[in-house]
Amino acid sequence: MPSPFGVPDHVKTCLKFSQRLPRSYGKMSSDFETYEQDFGTITAEVTNKIGKIPKLSGEEKTQLVLNVDKQLEEVRELLEQMDLEVREIPIQSRAMYNSRLKSYKQEVEKLEKDFKRSRIAYSDEVRNELLGDDAISSESQRAHLLDNTERLERSSRRLEAGYQIAVETEQVGQEILANLHTDREKIQRARERLRETDANLGKSSRILTGMLRRIIQNRILVFVLGGIILLTIILAIYLNLRSH
Amino acid sequence: MDNSGKEKEAMQLMAEADKKVKASGSFLGGMFGGNHKVEDACEIYARAANMFKMAKNWSEAINCLNQAIDIYTDMGRFTIAAKHHITIAEIYESELVDIEKAIAHYEQAADYYKGEESNSSANKCLLKVGHYSAQLEQYQKAIEIYEQVAMSTMDNPLLKYNAKEYFFKASLCHFIVDELNAKLAIEKYEEMFPAFSDSRELKLLKKLLEAHEEQNSEAFTEAVKEFDSVSRLDQWLTTMLLRIKKTIQGDAGDLK
Repeated sequence: MPSPFGVPDHVKTCLKFSQRLPRSYGKMSSDFETYEQDFGTITAEVTNKIGKIPKLSGEEKTQLVLNVDKQLEEVRELLEQMDLEVREIPIQSRAMYNSRLKSYKQEVEKLEKDFKRSRIAYSDEVRNELLGDDAISSESQRAHLLDNTERLERSSRRLEAGYQIAVETEQVGQEILANLHTDREKIQRARERLRETDANLGKSSRILTGMLRRIIQNRILVFVLGGIILLTIILAIYLNLRSH
Repeated sequence: MDNSGKEKEAMQLMAEADKKVKASGSFLGGMFGGNHKVEDACEIYARAANMFKMAKNWSEAINCLNQAIDIYTDMGRFTIAAKHHITIAEIYESELVDIEKAIAHYEQAADYYKGEESNSSANKCLLKVGHYSAQLEQYQKAIEIYEQVAMSTMDNPLLKYNAKEYFFKASLCHFIVDELNAKLAIEKYEEMFPAFSDSRELKLLKKLLEAHEEQNSEAFTEAVKEFDSVSRLDQWLTTMLLRIKKTIQGDAGDLK
């Protein structure tokens, strides 16, 4: 079908294929089968390459991407061929080929989706390149989360233990305060008694001084009286002698 | 070997003290050294009692102490008499396990301390009295004591952290007697002492009241367990709570 834009690609492929394989109406189904085989091989290759794409990067990646692109185009052209073939098959046996064709088309669509996804896939490789070789993979991320949960549990257990200890400390504190109060009273009482004793000591010392004074007074009195009596006796004897 | 030696010593001391006391009865002794003799006798009694305690001869020890107390109270030295009362009460508490006599002695000691204006020591003794009275199911007395002690400690800045414990104990005793009383009492205490309302004990009490109203012994047990996990329940508290729990189950049984 000549188009105003020149010879379309699929016609080129058609010509290419027609150069490869002799086309004859009798070998319609075998053509179809050949196409199927080709289809199978190319799709297998494409799937393989799509699997590899996320892991690669840079030059290799771009090359592989171009490769896969070309192969997908080939596959699409194959499909068109198969479509044309099927149309030339008599209507009775068309159903089987139609259904096969449909499934192939679906496969190709899936491959294209996978291809698109793989090009924007988040791969470990890219992360590793960014973060250097110690980057954590997704497996260890899960372990990381579990670790965190365990750490949280441990912390809450420790907090509870801490609370218990705080309560115990409060009780001990209460006891100590009560003891302190008792001791305070005892000390106060002792101080009072001490002051009393001190006052009493002062009093007794004054009394003693008084007593001492009185003793001295008494002694002086005794001496004075003794002296007077002596004088009186001497006077009496003297007067007696005088009167004789 | 050691024990009997100590006992003999103790007997000797007691005999000496007796002699001294008797000697001071005579006229001459009374004139000259009566007071000294009696004081010495007191001291000797106290030493003899100590010996008896070491020899584990409790009844003799208590005997000596009683005599010493008589002499001290005659002399008017109540503090030291109160101390001896406490010693006797401790012996009754731990060795001879006669709780009623122990209570009596603690009460006497508390009275003497009150007389000597040492409120702290008096409170200490009163607490023990309350403790044992509640154990012996004399709840009214226990309630009064705990309330009294709590009120006096409320104002003292040193002791106010203890007050909430005493209120808690008073409320528990109220609870055992009658649930309605407990509610009124708790409200009264909350009013008087706002710090009480923050305590975990009050929260426990409220939960217990609820559980009691609904006759739900599982909620009761759970609340108690929760409290226990934070701070251990001592023996007294456990006994009281168990009694309360039995009243719940008893009521539930009656309803059937």
